[in-house]
Amino acid sequence: MNPGELICYILAGVVVISALVVVLTANLVRSVFLFFVTLFALAGLYVFSLADFVAVTQVIVYVGGVLVLMLFAFMLSNKELLNSLRQPAAAKLSMLTNIPAGIVAAGVFTVLAISTKGLQLAAPSGMSLFPAGMLNAGDNTIHLLGVRLMTNYLLPFELASVFLLMALIGAAHLARKGKEST
Amino acid sequence: MLACGAAVIPLLGAIATYTFSKRNRGSGIAIAGSVLTFVLSALVFYTTWDHTAIHRQISWFTIGDLTFTAGVLLNNLSVLMLFLISGISLLVHIYSAAYMKLDPRLPVYWTCLGLFCFSMMALVVADSLLLIYLFWELVGFSSYLLIGFWNTRQAAVLANKKAFIINRIGDIGFLAGIMVLFSQYHTLDLVTLFSDHGLVASSPRIGGVWVGATGQLSQAWLTIAGAVFFFGAMAKSAQFPLHTWLPDAMEGPTPVSSLIHAATMVAAGVFLLVRVFPLFDQTVLLLIASIGTFTAFMAATIALAQHDIKKILAWSTISQLGYMIAAIGMGSPESAMFHLATHAFFKCLLFLSAGAVIHELQHHYAKSGDTTDPQDIRNMGGLRKKMPVTFIVMTIAALALAGFPGTSGFLSKDAVLVSAFGWGAAEQNVFSVIPYLLFVTSLLTAFYVARLIFKVFFGPAGQEELHEAPAPMRWPMIVLALCCLFPLFSVNPVSFESAWIMAGFYLNAVEAGAYHTYVPVLVSLGGTAAVFFAWFCYGRNRSGNIFTDKGMLYRFALNGWYFDKLYLAVFVKPVVLLSRILFGFDKKVVDGLVNAVGSLGLSLSAVSRWTDRYLVDAAVNGLGSISKTIGNFTRNFQNGRVQYYLLATVAGVLLFFMFTYFL
Amino acid sequence: MIPLEHYLLISAALFCIGLYAVFTRRNAIQVLIGIEFMINAAVINFVAFSKYDKAKLGGQVFALFAIVLAAAGVAVALAIILNVYKYYKTIDPGKIDELRD
Repeated sequence: MNPGELICYILAGVVVISALVVVLTANLVRSVFLFFVTLFALAGLYVFSLADFVAVTQVIVYVGGVLVLMLFAFMLSNKELLNSLRQPAAAKLSMLTNIPAGIVAAGVFTVLAISTKGLQLAAPSGMSLFPAGMLNAGDNTIHLLGVRLMTNYLLPFELASVFLLMALIGAAHLARKGKEST
Repeated sequence: MLACGAAVIPLLGAIATYTFSKRNRGSGIAIAGSVLTFVLSALVFYTTWDHTAIHRQISWFTIGDLTFTAGVLLNNLSVLMLFLISGISLLVHIYSAAYMKLDPRLPVYWTCLGLFCFSMMALVVADSLLLIYLFWELVGFSSYLLIGFWNTRQAAVLANKKAFIINRIGDIGFLAGIMVLFSQYHTLDLVTLFSDHGLVASSPRIGGVWVGATGQLSQAWLTIAGAVFFFGAMAKSAQFPLHTWLPDAMEGPTPVSSLIHAATMVAAGVFLLVRVFPLFDQTVLLLIASIGTFTAFMAATIALAQHDIKKILAWSTISQLGYMIAAIGMGSPESAMFHLATHAFFKCLLFLSAGAVIHELQHHYAKSGDTTDPQDIRNMGGLRKKMPVTFIVMTIAALALAGFPGTSGFLSKDAVLVSAFGWGAAEQNVFSVIPYLLFVTSLLTAFYVARLIFKVFFGPAGQEELHEAPAPMRWPMIVLALCCLFPLFSVNPVSFESAWIMAGFYLNAVEAGAYHTYVPVLVSLGGTAAVFFAWFCYGRNRSGNIFTDKGMLYRFALNGWYFDKLYLAVFVKPVVLLSRILFGFDKKVVDGLVNAVGSLGLSLSAVSRWTDRYLVDAAVNGLGSISKTIGNFTRNFQNGRVQYYLLATVAGVLLFFMFTYFL
Repeated sequence: MIPLEHYLLISAALFCIGLYAVFTRRNAIQVLIGIEFMINAAVINFVAFSKYDKAKLGGQVFALFAIVLAAAGVAVALAIILNVYKYYKTIDPGKIDELRD
C-alpha cells in the first residue's frame, strides 16, 4: 500500500466517521461544522479518483455557498432549538424511536454492499469496454472537461445556467418578507 | 314587408304594453299599435287586392335534404282577412279601453289581446302549413288566456279549460292532415301545394291511387287528409260535434267575445278550409256540407230558447259559421268568405251592443246592490228610450243577421243560399234537403234575433236610471253599423254578384236561374213573417210566451240539445267509471295479492332475522372488530409526518430488494 | 490504485448515513444535510466511474451538474425552511403534520 492509497483510505474513514457524527450528534452547531469537514474529505476523495476540477467545484460551491447559507438559515431559525440543546434527556429518549430508521438504513447499506460485491464491468456486445482508455493521473482533466462542456454538453450547460437563475429568483422571492406573497 | 309589419306590430304592442304599463295603464300604447296595424293592413290591402299574389320566403331550417321555408303569402284571401281582422281589432281596442277601464289587470288584458291579434294576423299571412299550425296553436292559447281573463271566476276557468281541450282535439286533426300531406308531397309550402298549378291540382287520382309528384298513396288517404283538416277546422270554428266550447267561452269579457268568438278566431277554421280547398274530394265536401248545415240548424234552434243575451249571440255565431262551412262544402268558398266578412262586422256589432247593455246594467246593479243577472234578457226591457243609439245600431246588426234587404247580411246570406239551392238541385238523394234546411234556419235566425231585440229594447221600461254607453264604446259601434249596410260591399243592394269580395275570388258559374230570383224574395218574406211572429210573441205582449218553460222541445233547445250532458255521459262519465273500476281492481285484487306476498315475506323475514342475529351478525361483528383493530393499527401510519412516510417508503423498497436478492 | 468497489462502498455508507439523517433528525436543516450526503454519495459514484470514460468524461460532467443542482436545491430549500419557520414557529418536520387526517 503506497502512501497515496493510505491517504485515500484515511480520507474515506474521515468521511464516514465525520458523517456519522454529523448525523448522530445532538449538538446542532457541532453537526453543521462537522458537515464542513465531511465535504472537505469528500473533495479529497474526488482528487484521488482523478476528478480534480469536480473537487475544486465541490469546495467552492459547498464550502463557499451551501455551508454559509446553512449557517445563516440556522442562525435565523433556531432560537428554539438552541434552547432545546440544554435538555439532553429528551435527546436520549429519542434515540429509542430512531431504532427502526437505523435498521432500515442498515438494511439499505447491506443491499448496496452486497450488490457491489460481485461487480463486473462488462461492455455491450460488439463494443470494447474502454474505447478511449482509462484516465491517467497525468491527464489534464480541466482541459478535457472544458472541451466537453463547450461541445457535447453545451445545451445542458446553458440550461443549468438558466436553472440557476430561476432558483436564485425563486429563493429570493420565497425568503423575503413579502406582504403580498405570504 | 308591410304585411310582416302589420302582423308583428300587435306583438310589439303587447310586449310594450306589458313593459311600460305604468302610464295610462297601457291603453294608449295598445290603441296606437292597433291604429298603426290597421293603417299598414289597409295599405297592404290596397296594393295587393286584385293584384298578383306576393310570395316571399326564406329558408327556415333543414332536416336531411328537406328544407322548410318560412314566409309570407299575400293573395286576395289573406289580405282580405288581414284587413278584416285589423279593422275589427282596432274598433274592439277602442271599445275595450272604455269597457275594461276599471279592471285592475288591464295591462295583462292588453298584452293578451295583442298576442291574440299577432297570432291571428300571422296565421292569415303565413305561407306554409307548418307556420299556420304554429300560429293556429298560438291563437288557441291566447284565446285560452282571454276566456279565462277573469280567472277568479270558477265558470271562466272551467270555460277556458274546456275551450282549450276541445281545440286541442281539433289540433290533432290539423296535425294529422299536415302529416298526410307531407308524406305525399314532401313540402308544406302553400303555393307549391295549392296554387293554380300546384302539386295538389296536378296530382290526379288514377284507379284509386292518389298520385303526387313525389309519391303516391291510396285514394283513401286523400279523403282522410281532407277529413282531418276539416276536423281541425271543426274545433276552431265550433262545428258539431266540437261546438260546445263556444257558448261557454262567453265567460270572457264581452269585447273578447266580440273579437275572438264572433269575428276572428272562429273564422280561422273557415279560413283554413278555404286555404286548403283544392284538397277536398267529393266525399269530404259532402261531409262538410252536411255538418255545416246540421250545425247551422241545430244552433239556430238552441238560440231560440236561451235567456242569456251573450249565449243567444254565441249560438247564433255557431249557426252562422255553419252557413259558411256548408257553403264551402257546397263548393262555393267565395260565398263563404263573403259571409265571413259581413258576419264579422254585424256579429261584432251585436256583441259590442250587448256589451254596452250589459255594461250599463252591471253598473246600475252594482250601484243599487242588486244581484240580478245583468245578462239575462228576461230582466231587460224598454231600453229603447234610454239607450237610443245602442238600440239603432243593434237593430241594424240584427236586420243584417236576419238577412233583410239593404244590409250586408242580405247579400252574403243570399250568396250562400243561392249556391246551396244550385248545388241541391244537382243532388238526387237525401242531401237535397240541405238547402231547405238552410232556408228554415234563416227563418229561425230572423225569429230569435227579433226576439232578442224585442225583449231587450221594447216593452215597459223599468225604473232604472240608465244612460247611453260612453263615447269610446259608442263610436266603434256606429262605425260598425255603417259597415253592416250594403254600400261597403256592393253598389247594388240586391245583387250579391256585384259585391267586390265575390268578384275578388274566382266567381263560380252559379246555376243562377230561378233560384237567383225567388230565394232572396222568399228569404225576405219569410224573415219578415218571422219577425212579425216574434213581435206577436214577445214585443206586443211580453207575458204571452208561446213556448212554455215546461215544454220538452223548449228544454231540449235550452240545454243546447243536451250535448254537454251527452258528452258528460258518453265521454266523461265512462272514463271516471273506468277509473273507479280500475281503482277497485287495484284495491281488491292487486292490493290483496301484494298484502299476501307481504305477510309471506314477513314470516320469512322472521326466520331470517334469527339467522341474521345469531349467525350472520356474529360473523359480521367479528369481521368488523378485526377490521377495526387493523384500522386503528394502520391509522398510526397516517400521522402526517413526512419523515415517517419516507421511512415507510424506503422500507418498502428495501423489502422489495431483499426479496429479489435473497429469495 | 483503489478498486472501484471501495469507492462504491464508501458511497453506499454515505448514502445510508444521509438516509438515516433524513429519517430521524428533528431539524429541517439537518434533514437537508442528510440529503446533501445522499447527493454527494451519488457524486462519488459518478466520479469513480468517470475514470473509465476518458473520451467524454460523462461522469465528471454529470457530477458537476449534480453539484450545481444541489446548490440550487439548497438555496430554495433553505428559503422554504425560513418560510415554514415563519409560519409554524418551528422547523421540526415531525411537528408539521397537518397533512394527516
